[in-house]
Amino acid sequence: MSIDWWTLGLQTVNALVLIWILARFLFRPVSRILTERQEAAHAELDAAQAARAEAEAAREAAKAETASLAATRSDALARAQAEAAEERDRLITDARAEAATLRDSAGHELARERDRQRHALSQEAGELAADIAARLMARLPETTRVAGFTEGLAEAVAGLPEATRARIGSEGPVILRAVRPLEPAESAELSAALARVLGTAPALTVETDPALIAGLELETPHAIVRNHLRADLDRIRAELTHD
Amino acid sequence: MTDNLVEIVSILAAALAVGMGAIGPALGEGRAVAAAMDAIARQPEAAGTISRTLFVGLAMIETMAIYTLVIALLVLFANPFV
Amino acid sequence: MENPLSIEPLFHLGPVPVTAPVVVTWVIMAVLAALAWATTRRLTLRPGKAQTVLELMVTTIDAQVADTMRRDPAPFRALIGTIFLFVLAANWSSLIPGVEPPTAHVETDAALALIVFAATIAYGIRARGMSGYLATFAEPSWVMIPLNVIEQITRTFSLIVRLFGNVMSGVFVVGIVLSLAGLLVPIPLMALDLLTGAVQAYIFAVLATVFIGAAVGETRDPAANDRKDPSDD
Repeated sequence: MSIDWWTLGLQTVNALVLIWILARFLFRPVSRILTERQEAAHAELDAAQAARAEAEAAREAAKAETASLAATRSDALARAQAEAAEERDRLITDARAEAATLRDSAGHELARERDRQRHALSQEAGELAADIAARLMARLPETTRVAGFTEGLAEAVAGLPEATRARIGSEGPVILRAVRPLEPAESAELSAALARVLGTAPALTVETDPALIAGLELETPHAIVRNHLRADLDRIRAELTHD
Repeated sequence: MTDNLVEIVSILAAALAVGMGAIGPALGEGRAVAAAMDAIARQPEAAGTISRTLFVGLAMIETMAIYTLVIALLVLFANPFV
Repeated sequence: MENPLSIEPLFHLGPVPVTAPVVVTWVIMAVLAALAWATTRRLTLRPGKAQTVLELMVTTIDAQVADTMRRDPAPFRALIGTIFLFVLAANWSSLIPGVEPPTAHVETDAALALIVFAATIAYGIRARGMSGYLATFAEPSWVMIPLNVIEQITRTFSLIVRLFGNVMSGVFVVGIVLSLAGLLVPIPLMALDLLTGAVQAYIFAVLATVFIGAAVGETRDPAANDRKDPSDD
């Protein structure tokens, strides 16, 4: 086997030259363009990332704005609602108070009116009753309007306390009111009845008072003994009015 | 006959060298292909890598046979004793 | 039969005998240079078809080198890429009638292997320093020094013989078949020749990468240890 050394040397030089040529004209430009493209792509990516970050920030800001707007609106809404509720409460309270005062005053007015009416009614009824009693008494005989009450007056005097009863007649004159001037018989009977109750017959000053309708009234400085229809009617009316 | 005894022996030696030198690489290539088939059957998704490696490996193994061929050619054409 | 191992000079350039492989190499160089100049004349950021192919090729070479060396492929790109392209073009030049590939002659392969050998030493010294590079021969211990030195020579020799044997045998077999049956019969063998040529170009480039990578040393990358060294054949 023979090796051609010239060929070996020439091929070595050839290969070295080829390496230089391809490095100069092929690999360096291509790798440079690859690097350039890579850098361009990186720049693009960076720019895109920056733009995206910017957009993200803008969106965040918009979101925050929206949130603050919503918060403001809900605040205003809540405040308005609170005010409205307060106003309504106030109005309701006012209305209630007003209604209560109105009702109270109406009730008072009503009660007063009713009282007044009742008073008027009882007044009227009393007058009517007195009138009725007077008319009825007028139908009876004249004597009954005094004589029938003699015993009652005596019993009423007897019902007085002991001290009061003892002083009747001893301290001045006793006024006796009757519906008409007494007949002498009637005066005697009355004096007898009083003497039976009091022990002594007091001096009687007789006065007439048609308002009594029927009956007698004995007045001393310390006590008044009434035994007549007017007093009965008055008592009845007072009881009716008290109800 | 005796004049060209060296040439006859050279031819015999070249034939023996190529014939016997081919046995080892043949067995080796068979094993390699079998293993590669097995690997591809197990992992079909790696078929590309496996077959590329297989080709390179086969070329490597084949180089053994090529060496004997070179020796045979040396014996035939560049025999220093002829 | 014509002796496939010896070559005759075609003509003399002064005292220098010029043989057929040298002429074919010149033609290949011219074609590659013209192609490179034509395609890289107008490189743009938006690549056309030719530029895309170029970029794909360069990116693939870069990826292979980076994958094997676990290093930045920039300093080795031109050497490895040129070796691959030239061996591929030389192997496939057998398609042109009457042309014998330059790699079918041992001188061309020896030239390439010597360049790889020199590059290994140069890159090793540049990466580790002279003493550091020499210290790699004493790994794992000083006993290994003779073996390591022999390995440097034998692996270069095997690099030569592998490429030479493959291409030459392909040419030889095609020649024999052609002399037996002329028409159409050698076509499958020529196709196999193309495949072999491509694979051998790839292997040559990969082995050169592995040798240089071993010389410059692994970076501190644990994944690099997973890779098997395909040089120990």
